[in-house]
Amino acid sequence: MYSDGLLTGQNVSLSDALVTGGTTTLVGLSIVFSVLIILMIVLMLFKLIFRQKPKAQQVAVQSAKVQEQQAPVIDDNVDETELVAVLAAAVAASLNTSTYNLKIKSYRRIDNKMPAWNKAGVTETINSRF
Amino acid sequence: MLESFSNFLQNTGFYALFFQGGGDIVTAVKTIIMIAIACVLLYLAIVKKFEPLLLLPIAFGMLLSNLPMLKDSNAIMMHTEFFTDPQYMTDGKYINVGYICQHGGLLDLLYLGVKLGIYPPLIFIGIGCMTDFGPLIANPKSILLGAAAQFGVFFTFIGALVLSALVPSISFGLKEAASIGIIGGADGPTAIYVTKTLAPALLPAIAVAAYSYMALIPVIQPPIMKLMTRKKDRMIVMEQLRPVSKTEKILFPIIVTIVVALIIPDAVSLVGCLMLGNLMKESGVVDRLSKMAQNELMNIITLFLGVTVGATATASSFLSWQTIGIIVLGLIAFCFSTAGGLFLGDIMCWLTKGKVNPLIGSAGVSAVPMAARVSQTVGQKENPSNFLLMHAMGPNVAGVIGSAVAAGVFLAMFSNI
Repeated sequence: MYSDGLLTGQNVSLSDALVTGGTTTLVGLSIVFSVLIILMIVLMLFKLIFRQKPKAQQVAVQSAKVQEQQAPVIDDNVDETELVAVLAAAVAASLNTSTYNLKIKSYRRIDNKMPAWNKAGVTETINSRF
Repeated sequence: MLESFSNFLQNTGFYALFFQGGGDIVTAVKTIIMIAIACVLLYLAIVKKFEPLLLLPIAFGMLLSNLPMLKDSNAIMMHTEFFTDPQYMTDGKYINVGYICQHGGLLDLLYLGVKLGIYPPLIFIGIGCMTDFGPLIANPKSILLGAAAQFGVFFTFIGALVLSALVPSISFGLKEAASIGIIGGADGPTAIYVTKTLAPALLPAIAVAAYSYMALIPVIQPPIMKLMTRKKDRMIVMEQLRPVSKTEKILFPIIVTIVVALIIPDAVSLVGCLMLGNLMKESGVVDRLSKMAQNELMNIITLFLGVTVGATATASSFLSWQTIGIIVLGLIAFCFSTAGGLFLGDIMCWLTKGKVNPLIGSAGVSAVPMAARVSQTVGQKENPSNFLLMHAMGPNVAGVIGSAVAAGVFLAMFSNI
């Protein structure tokens, strides 16, 4: 089926190399693709069978009004995107939904009026969890 | 007294290095070069941290088996001739396990695990325990990217044959070309599994090339990714993946095993073990087995595999133009696998009108999770709020299945010619 050159690797002719290589590539790649396409179809069936009905919850996030009078103190030099991401994730986690259902329109820093001893306690607890 | 001292001297490595066989200087120099290569690899593993878990044992195995020893000394740990020289084999082609057990050193005995195809499937059990197929189940289309990234495997197969036709000092037959091509699957155990069957003489070079390039993926892939995608597409934020139920995660490994076995039985020892490990993890009923497979079992096998594969690197097989050819072809394999995945990524991006970020295509090469991390890093450079990691994990784990299937294809085609 294969020439002696191709079997031993000695005196391989260029045309042999290209023809055999090309056909092997065609056959091989199509087998790989067909196996994975079959798996893809199976997975798509999965999706149909196990589809969980998305809870129709357009969460209207009530911004928790904890403190009212504080004016927003925003340092323009700080990159806000990370902070917004963290806030979105926190809200999403507490509301049991996805960040995709949330839109953060604004946020506002609230001065921390916790007594010094409380602060120290909180820091200590956090550090002990690392 | 003097005699015993002289006997001792004749037993030393120095004597073996310089005076054995009438003082063959070429062999001595080759031995020294091999030890130097082993030291360079140790340097790469320890200082540069190139896949140290594998490269360190490989390099040390290489060192151990290339230490100068007297012929027929009992201290020799590895006799590669037992596995390659027909003189030591039964019927000139099957390894003589009885003989190896009687006369072999420690590494000979451990190497039986490679030669008999035991280690790579066992490693796959561990990998299965560590793999989460969730992202793939959630986005089935990404499995195609894992297939497209096998393009490099086949392209390199042709490349190796062409090189063999053009360069007289390199002789790669079909079996050798297939073993070299599989480097493009970016999957160490798969490459070793194919090579030990088809071209055992090339095993050390292919293993070193595969693992070194896997460590270099963060360097190799980004330029190709930038070249093959548009900035606008790289910024695409993909839709969040749907949650995957436990039932699906449990059914997946079972179905994959059956489907793969029906189409390409030669891939079952790899894919089947991968899925066994995954089922142990997802079912949650054999927690102890799953923890054992991904920690102790995996670590032990990795050590055995690394040391023995390194130990097969003898001067006569390793110091040749073929090794250089393999190093070059291995790089080509990685580049074209990346390009194949990206190409399909681009097409999917175009077909879905910009819902798929083409960068996840390059994660189709199966180096888990390195390739997915590269997609994430490159994507985040263009759009800092973009998180592609989970999307890239889909093609990434599909790549593991894809390269195992490609390996099965080669084994089915060439192991009996």
